[in-house]
Amino acid sequence: MPSSATIRVQVESALAQKFPSALTPATRMVRPVISSGIAAFDELVQGGMPVGAMTELVGESCSGRMSIALSFLSQVTAAEKVCAWVDASNSFNPTAAAAAGVDLRRLLWVRCGVSEVLSDQETRSFVLPSECFTPKPVMKGLHGGGHGTHPRNEVKGLSAAVGKFLNEETINARCAEPISKPRPIPQHFEPNLRSTSQSIRVSKRPRAYDSIEQALRSADLLVQAGGFSAIVLDFGEVAPEIVSRIELSTWHRYRVAAEQTQASILLLSPYACAKSSSELQLRLSPMEDTQEERTVFTGMRAHVEVLRHRFAQKNPGNVVSMRRPPQAAKEACWTHRASWVGHR
Amino acid sequence: MRHTPEVYACIYVRELPAQALLRLRPELHEKPCVILEGDPPTQTVCSLNTRARLLGLRRKMTKVEVETFEGVMVLERSLKTEAGVRTILLECAGGFSPRIEDLSVDGLFICVVDAAGTEALFGPPILLAKKVRQRLRSLGIIALVTVSVNVHTAVCLARGLSSAVPIHVVPPGEEAKALAPLPIMVLNITESQSEIFMTWGLRSVESIAALPEKALISRLGQDAKRILQLAQGKHPHLLQPIDVPFVLEEYAELDSPLDDLESLLFGLSTMLEQLIVRARSRVFALASVTITLRLDGGGSHERTVNPRVPTNEKRLWLKLLHLDLEAHPPNAAIVGVQLYAEPGATSKVQLGLFSPQLPEPGRLDVTLAKITAIVGEGNVGMAVLKDTRRPNDFHVEPFTITSAKPPSACISFPMGLRLLRPSERANVELRRGRPCEIYFRSRRYIAEQVYGPWLKGGDWWNESIWGHEQWDFVGKARDNAFLACRLSRDFILKGWQVEGLYD
Repeated sequence: MPSSATIRVQVESALAQKFPSALTPATRMVRPVISSGIAAFDELVQGGMPVGAMTELVGESCSGRMSIALSFLSQVTAAEKVCAWVDASNSFNPTAAAAAGVDLRRLLWVRCGVSEVLSDQETRSFVLPSECFTPKPVMKGLHGGGHGTHPRNEVKGLSAAVGKFLNEETINARCAEPISKPRPIPQHFEPNLRSTSQSIRVSKRPRAYDSIEQALRSADLLVQAGGFSAIVLDFGEVAPEIVSRIELSTWHRYRVAAEQTQASILLLSPYACAKSSSELQLRLSPMEDTQEERTVFTGMRAHVEVLRHRFAQKNPGNVVSMRRPPQAAKEACWTHRASWVGHR
Repeated sequence: MRHTPEVYACIYVRELPAQALLRLRPELHEKPCVILEGDPPTQTVCSLNTRARLLGLRRKMTKVEVETFEGVMVLERSLKTEAGVRTILLECAGGFSPRIEDLSVDGLFICVVDAAGTEALFGPPILLAKKVRQRLRSLGIIALVTVSVNVHTAVCLARGLSSAVPIHVVPPGEEAKALAPLPIMVLNITESQSEIFMTWGLRSVESIAALPEKALISRLGQDAKRILQLAQGKHPHLLQPIDVPFVLEEYAELDSPLDDLESLLFGLSTMLEQLIVRARSRVFALASVTITLRLDGGGSHERTVNPRVPTNEKRLWLKLLHLDLEAHPPNAAIVGVQLYAEPGATSKVQLGLFSPQLPEPGRLDVTLAKITAIVGEGNVGMAVLKDTRRPNDFHVEPFTITSAKPPSACISFPMGLRLLRPSERANVELRRGRPCEIYFRSRRYIAEQVYGPWLKGGDWWNESIWGHEQWDFVGKARDNAFLACRLSRDFILKGWQVEGLYD
């Protein structure tokens, strides 16, 4: 009796004209990926972010794009690789990145659209006028308070005081005539807030197109330079109508450069703009509050859906099954924890 | 103990004023050039190149006489440049032996190198002389090199040597024979002594060497003994070595004020090349380069470029200097350029098959400089956090490739907070002291969950006091738009702001 291998060869040769290599499993190309550090996410995208390709995370504000990117960068920097964050909206938070485990020494941060102006720093300085520090003259005699002479002597100057009270000046004033004596200028003893001459840099909100152009040019240089294992292009806070105007040739150029330099480009955007240049396209829905604690914000639940996966592994054989093949999951959920929450 | 025989090499540079000015200007090498000195209008030629000499120009010619020749490049003598070149030459000679002596006179560079014991390093004296001359040639200076066991013989021989024979090695014991055919002026004698010898009919060194010692001293005095010993190649000399510091510096003056940076790069290229040659001869690389531009009107403009690792790549240095000067241009025309470089150890990078792929340092420098030109200074680099809780308290440092171990990731699924710079104002409605509704970015969000307040404050001990009341706000708008943000109420400014969005 012929062996199974012989039978297989015979069947294959018989079917060769219609179905070439019908029973031989198709060769699988192992595409390198880098884990994102989120197990549910990795399972969904078959291992992690693809190397030498572009991944697009599409979603509105508060959908968890930055959280995924930070988790991914923490994995990249943990492997002693170097990565870059091209920040088109100048909204990267190094404190949050450090809390997420990203090694900031291995992260090149390019802040785009920062037009800083020097402005006077408003600091509070409490200054009392010098009059406060001069002692009041000691009044003696009538209504002089303490420090005076004996009360029996107070009447001594009474006649003079009455004379002074009835002097010409006082009488004139009572007659509603203009007083020639200038009124004393009231002295202010209120503490005042003075701005010092110190200047600080205050970031002004720049024009959106400037920052987009800067980000694209910077990203171009970084991708061409090589050596960066991951480059995050953050257009998260840029309006979708602006992102959509970026030429498709730009994304194609990035894709080709990423292939050559084996960099993983991660694009965070509110609109799916890279189209076919991205190997993996994911849509994130707005997150949901976990509401685990009543008093402390502990984290949020993220929800992601695969829109496009160019080299997704399908049925390993090339034999068409009679049954419907099992469909791969297209959605995943997980919970992002705030940095102040411990393991649960 | 074996006695090492004495060997001295003499480096003799003619027309130093001309060579010093022309070494950084290769475009003038093919032109007749003369160097004038003195105050106008009594300027005279003090030095000239070979092409000018072939044209018929001579020293001591006046400027009017020079102008009768066509196509002659006239330059002013620069004593500063000459002094700089003299230092460079001495430093170059010091690369062959630590014992060198400077015997220079005005317009000539003469240096004696004690080459005893260097045979193992540089080979026999003829090879040493070739190497010395080759090294000087790479610095843009043409020199004559003579080698002898007697210092004065080497110097006198160099003085009388023609430019066609740039190297001459005198075998030990043949000093008198080597000097014999030379004219008597090589013996460094006064004009009166020269006249006396002429009247006696003596024109060559050989004829003086043959004179009886006592009879000559009785006629010319005690100096006659020195002249006789010089002629016989026996005059002793006590070498007084000098210490020359290794300073990588180049200076050039421009003929006319220059406004264009692109044109300046041509000159910078030659100067950088010289610095690199000198650094490389000592197995160094340039670690940093400081460029000082002397400006029209008396000012100066100084910039320093520091790449990640010391390098000797001229193109990289040029590009970095170009980008830096473009970002910080001088405010007046340039009349002079000075380059000062700090030497550093040549970079050695041990690459491994399994080590992670990292950016190439030279290329990274240029890339970062280009990005800096795009996004502005201080916006590219690595963020360094400050030891404070104040929001936005960090600074950006230049990016370097570190080899330190990364910290271990402590959180499994971290939550990101996207900061808004500057913080955006929001109208907040309170109910029982807690935000219940906020109006932000043209939308009204109803609170679903509000966490807080968390009080933050600091710097109360100085004028930059700050204080916030912080809330975590989770809400939805009527159109189901979701908002999870960090709200803060500034105690000082008395206003509500959205610090950042949880994203």
